[in-house]
Amino acid sequence: MQFVLEFDNITKEYRSFASKRRLRALDSFSLAVEAGEIFGFLGPNGAGKSTAIHLAMGFMRPTSGNGRMLRKPFGHAGTRRRVGFLAENVALYHRRAERLIRFYGALNGMSGTHLENRAREVLEIVGLQDHSKRNAGKFSRGMLQRVGLAQAIVNDPDLLILDEPTSALDPLSRVMVRELLLGARNAGKTIFLSSHLLSEVELVCDRVAVLHRGRLARMGRTSDLLQAGEQTEIVVCGIAASQFQGAVARDGGVSFSVPTHNQRAALERVWSLGGEVVSVNPVRRTLEEIFLEVTADPESGVPKGVQ
Amino acid sequence: MKPVLLIAINFAREQRWPMLTLLLWVLLLAFLGLISDIHRQREDLLFVFKLDAVYVSAFSIFFGGSAIYNERRSRRILAVLSKAVGRQQYLSGLVLGVTIACVIYCFALGMTGSWTLGEAGFPISHVWFLMTCLVAACALAGTVALMFSTFLNPFFAAGATAMVLGIPALAGQILGPRWGYVIPVWQLGATVVNSSFDSPGAISWFPILLAGAETLAFWLLSARIFAHVDIAVAVE
Repeated sequence: MQFVLEFDNITKEYRSFASKRRLRALDSFSLAVEAGEIFGFLGPNGAGKSTAIHLAMGFMRPTSGNGRMLRKPFGHAGTRRRVGFLAENVALYHRRAERLIRFYGALNGMSGTHLENRAREVLEIVGLQDHSKRNAGKFSRGMLQRVGLAQAIVNDPDLLILDEPTSALDPLSRVMVRELLLGARNAGKTIFLSSHLLSEVELVCDRVAVLHRGRLARMGRTSDLLQAGEQTEIVVCGIAASQFQGAVARDGGVSFSVPTHNQRAALERVWSLGGEVVSVNPVRRTLEEIFLEVTADPESGVPKGVQ
Repeated sequence: MKPVLLIAINFAREQRWPMLTLLLWVLLLAFLGLISDIHRQREDLLFVFKLDAVYVSAFSIFFGGSAIYNERRSRRILAVLSKAVGRQQYLSGLVLGVTIACVIYCFALGMTGSWTLGEAGFPISHVWFLMTCLVAACALAGTVALMFSTFLNPFFAAGATAMVLGIPALAGQILGPRWGYVIPVWQLGATVVNSSFDSPGAISWFPILLAGAETLAFWLLSARIFAHVDIAVAVE
């Protein structure tokens, strides 16, 4: 298996200079992102997502452990020529959008007409071709995020690391980003996507990991995680809802869930009662449910921050 | 080398407003040259010239001391360092940027000084020597400030820089002039400040070369420190 991004038992502690207090942002964190996938990186605020991303980009050094990006240790400047990065809070210089993109492209070694054409192309991709002569300092937050995305992809990166790329975008722009990500994956690129927009993650990510309190709490293929609920929903008609525990009457029928291993017995009981089976489907969970389950307080069972 | 140049030019561009404000003082010198009797008021013109020189020295510390802080605080540093730019290259860009900003100012001051002071009888070649001294002093002062700014906020970085530059100057006054050359910013500044129409001063390249070597040394030290700094952590 070819990994493009690997965190190997990384711990990161922040130390307060004055009080000598230590805050452990990442705790023995290990993760490997495969080539050609869109990897969703989830977690509540303060879980350590941005810390992990900043470590990968070489903005900070781990307290212990190590990692590799495109087979080079974190922080290797030359490797970043093949990486695109969009920070959570986009902050760019105040100059014309096209010049800005050319500046960041040039920092990655691009030059000449190739850079000029590419700058125009990426601004078109993010829908800012009509604003290319405008100063980015006067852009709205959403437009700034799109320029940020444009500078991230100007070098046609093999690995795209995006920290909340759609947080300030309108639904249309989100669709644009989604298509961009899917197109990049189809072109063989790898995308590491940190986001709170679980519905977006659910739509595009091949695998997801949930980080909680600096530790990897859950990881797997998105499809597996969503179907991991061992419940089956059965919809029947011709019987009373009171016949099954937790059953509800709906649209002239009755709907209830049973553990998948009891499915056969439940169906036989429906038939014995003279009912008719309308549908039998595995209960599909949402990423939000998984997220809330993973981040729930072990004592109260309520997600941290919801209490 | 290209990223270093890009970062340097970008830095100088970002400092355009303080630079333009500073250049108003050069404009004042030019204005005085236009409206005054250059020969009769030549001492006043020389005073303004020296004042302009002192300002740029102070500004170089301000430029160097606040460069990294401002970039980190605004988080613009992340987009730059997410590219194929090493930390050493980034710092080199800032050192070069501070120097470019000072060179632009010194060039403007040198041009104006050549006209006004040259008209009044000051050797023009010596005006440019003084400007070279000033650029060397600014580059060194800016680099020392930049070094402190890798781990201190601008206020403390400026204070620490003033101490590092001031202690050799003080030692030069108390223990002997040789001590003043340990970090020759003061010596170079004194060359400018002590020049006069009667005695423009001797041309000595030693402090300039020493300042160049020390700029290199402080840049290397800055790069070493900066390589270990977590730049994505909040600076406050």
